[in-house]
Amino acid sequence: MKDKLIFPTCPEAEFFGRKDLISGLCSAATEDKGIAPGIFLVGRYWVGKTEVLRRVHNELYWGQAGSVPVYFQLSRSKDPAAFAEDFLRETLKQILAFRTRTPELATHEVSLERLEAELEGDEEDGLYGFIKRHKEAKRAGDALSQLRNALSLPCHSSKAGGGRVFLILDDIDESARMRLHGTTVLKEFLDAVGRGSTAFLASSRLRRIPASGLPTGAIEINEMSGLGEEASISMLTELCRNYGIAFDTEILRLASSRLEGNPMYMKNMVWAARRSGGNFETLKDFVDLYAVEVTEGNIAFALRSLISLKGQSGLKVLNHSSRIATDASLEDVTDRLRLKPDEAAGVAEDMASRGILETNLGAIKWDGDTVTKDFVHFAYETMVRGKSADEARTQLVREWLKSGYSLRSVIWQGRLKSDCESLLKAFNGQSIPRVLFNNRSFSARCKNNGTARKNLEAISEDEPFLLPQIVGTFDTLRHEKAEAPPIVVAHGFQNNRYDANNEVVWLAGIKEALQPVNIGDIENFVRRCAILRENFKTTRIVRWMIGREGFSSEAIKRIDAEGVYSSDIVQLGMIKSRLEEQGGKTTPAAPAGPGVAPIKEFEVILPSASKAELVAARAAEEIGTEMGFDEHAIGQIKSALVEACINAFEHSKTRLGRVFLRFIASNDRLTIHVQNQGTDLDRLSGKGAVEEASGPETMPHRRGWGIELMRGLMDEVRLENIRNGAKIVMVKYLIQKGDGSNEKQF
Amino acid sequence: MKNNFKKNYRDIGTSVILYPDNYINDIEGEKIEEMCEDFLKKGFKTIIIDFSGTEIINSIGVSILIGIIERVRLNKGIVFFSGLKKINQEIFSIVGLTKHIQVFNTEEEAVTSAKDTASQMMM
Repeated sequence: MKDKLIFPTCPEAEFFGRKDLISGLCSAATEDKGIAPGIFLVGRYWVGKTEVLRRVHNELYWGQAGSVPVYFQLSRSKDPAAFAEDFLRETLKQILAFRTRTPELATHEVSLERLEAELEGDEEDGLYGFIKRHKEAKRAGDALSQLRNALSLPCHSSKAGGGRVFLILDDIDESARMRLHGTTVLKEFLDAVGRGSTAFLASSRLRRIPASGLPTGAIEINEMSGLGEEASISMLTELCRNYGIAFDTEILRLASSRLEGNPMYMKNMVWAARRSGGNFETLKDFVDLYAVEVTEGNIAFALRSLISLKGQSGLKVLNHSSRIATDASLEDVTDRLRLKPDEAAGVAEDMASRGILETNLGAIKWDGDTVTKDFVHFAYETMVRGKSADEARTQLVREWLKSGYSLRSVIWQGRLKSDCESLLKAFNGQSIPRVLFNNRSFSARCKNNGTARKNLEAISEDEPFLLPQIVGTFDTLRHEKAEAPPIVVAHGFQNNRYDANNEVVWLAGIKEALQPVNIGDIENFVRRCAILRENFKTTRIVRWMIGREGFSSEAIKRIDAEGVYSSDIVQLGMIKSRLEEQGGKTTPAAPAGPGVAPIKEFEVILPSASKAELVAARAAEEIGTEMGFDEHAIGQIKSALVEACINAFEHSKTRLGRVFLRFIASNDRLTIHVQNQGTDLDRLSGKGAVEEASGPETMPHRRGWGIELMRGLMDEVRLENIRNGAKIVMVKYLIQKGDGSNEKQF
Repeated sequence: MKNNFKKNYRDIGTSVILYPDNYINDIEGEKIEEMCEDFLKKGFKTIIIDFSGTEIINSIGVSILIGIIERVRLNKGIVFFSGLKKINQEIFSIVGLTKHIQVFNTEEEAVTSAKDTASQMMM
């Protein structure tokens, strides 16, 4: 019995994502806080407001005895007197139905005369008197008295005992259109509930509710939008399964975004797929179905009914408004579309009442959803511009497919960042295979194995990498004013040691788009990191680039040179699962040494001064010693670096040009970047020395040995032209102390 | 400028031992060059440059040293290097300079060789 529905709702299997809302509304209805709650549920057409209200009614009818739920749905065309009679009859029916536990009474057609006969002689609670007064006012032709009499019934009934009436009014905004003697039904209703402290729940398409007559603190406005992404996907998935429609989850995600989580749209799309034998396996499958449904299917029918356009003027106003993102003066729109002022104003007012336009101080703004926009555009193209339905539909499909790909990226926007933040927060000194932070090695491993990435269990035996303990994360919005892809900043400590020497900052750059990270992304990330690091006192900065779709080969080369960590979505997932396996356990502090240290970066800026290059050499010595380079290797690095600095100074464009150095100390190598604000590479290349070098009998050429020395002393030397300057990148691989060989450790 | 080097050389008869600074760049290289010219003018035929106190020699320093060797040769003299650190020996090797001069591990070895050479020249 309890499951019996009084007012019809959709099947349970097709109802998603509103349970918490319903539960909250029911609690508000039954809680006695000393003040009658007035709750507005505000949202666009077809987002499910009616469904929620009816389910609240059902819950209250069957689930408690203190409040008498009365559900009433307003309709567009009723005049105030007719509304008054309907409202009186429905309220009386439902009060009696609740008191007598006769649900049929609430829904069956019962005339006022029948109710009068039922209540005659029962003067105790005064309900009979309401019918009597109503008939007297009706006979006198006093519609306002009929209205006020009907609207005061809930309050009177609550005070007379037998339970407090909880009014549930669907589409209350329709009452604002019912005018009578300089007032509106809405105003009369608000006056009545305000005077009598009647609790109510009312749905409205309009966001601006004229609730000034109600006591402050009693009003609560709940905005109700479409279903959230997860609920939408669950709903679409369930419906597709129920109807045997093939689907791809990503396409359902795309559909839910385009349909803005609107349950009516989503159901109709699935039903359309079922009718036509279509599916949701590819973007084109979805777009094909969508185009038909929005132009001639059930969705189109519903929108046509909602908008109820009469003539082309309304269509022109709607189409124009839907194409501009901001407010437009109604006067301008009238001029531009060559309409009569009254005509345009009438359209604007009508569409505003339907929740499609927003009007404010002589300006209009589109307030409909994307689906309505597509429908309006199609109607405009066919009815105003004279295109055939096929031509207009083809245009819709074409535009949709073009934007669909980028929409897929938009859907992901924020998710990867959120995942990355969660992951960083889970860093707690665990040990993770190093390859998960190196996309080049990871990709090579996959390729070499000739297997799918999911079969990479073997990487567990890979070289371990000790994660820091992250103490907090935040984004860079405060530091960077310009819009840019997100960088997540994570502060933490390395090696389980909470001192300044082990403090570390991870900067995680995220590319959410469905294209691989390219070299421009890396350069941009590196540049932004260089700027961001000014905000952090620690010298240990770890840069980590994450790309949903991996990395281009050029980007990988640059990543290697820059010493940036790199992970794609697969690696990210594997890191996550390994962290979950370890349950956030901290790996015991490892002995300090080159094997466990993370990438460290140091930057030095050299002024144009005598022997400034020795400062660089000194820095290199310190870093190299800490890394474990032997004395000879340190000498090589120092000499090569001195050469690079001299070159950089020599070829600076400006006399006072500074030289920027960056030392990237990773476990297997030291990479040094020497950058000036000067010349191109041809001048730096120093080709002449070797080519013109003399034979064994003659003395060597005197000048131009700088680059050759660098190449002879370092393992890798690369010269790069960069914007406003040139850069020398040198790499020295680590050789273990006492090894004595040139064999690289890694 | 010459006075700066009074303590940076040692006169041993017909040979002179120069003790360059820790870092041989253009300035330091030119100082050595000037000293060498002075000593050549004074008739010294063997110039020993002891690099035991020299940590870094940059390419400009190397080019000046090449010039010094050329100048000494023109004056029928001879240049010995001693006390080179491994890295500097490697640098001279890269530029091909070690093929043109004798390099000794220590100043003493260089001095002994210089004396032998002077004896042979006397004969």
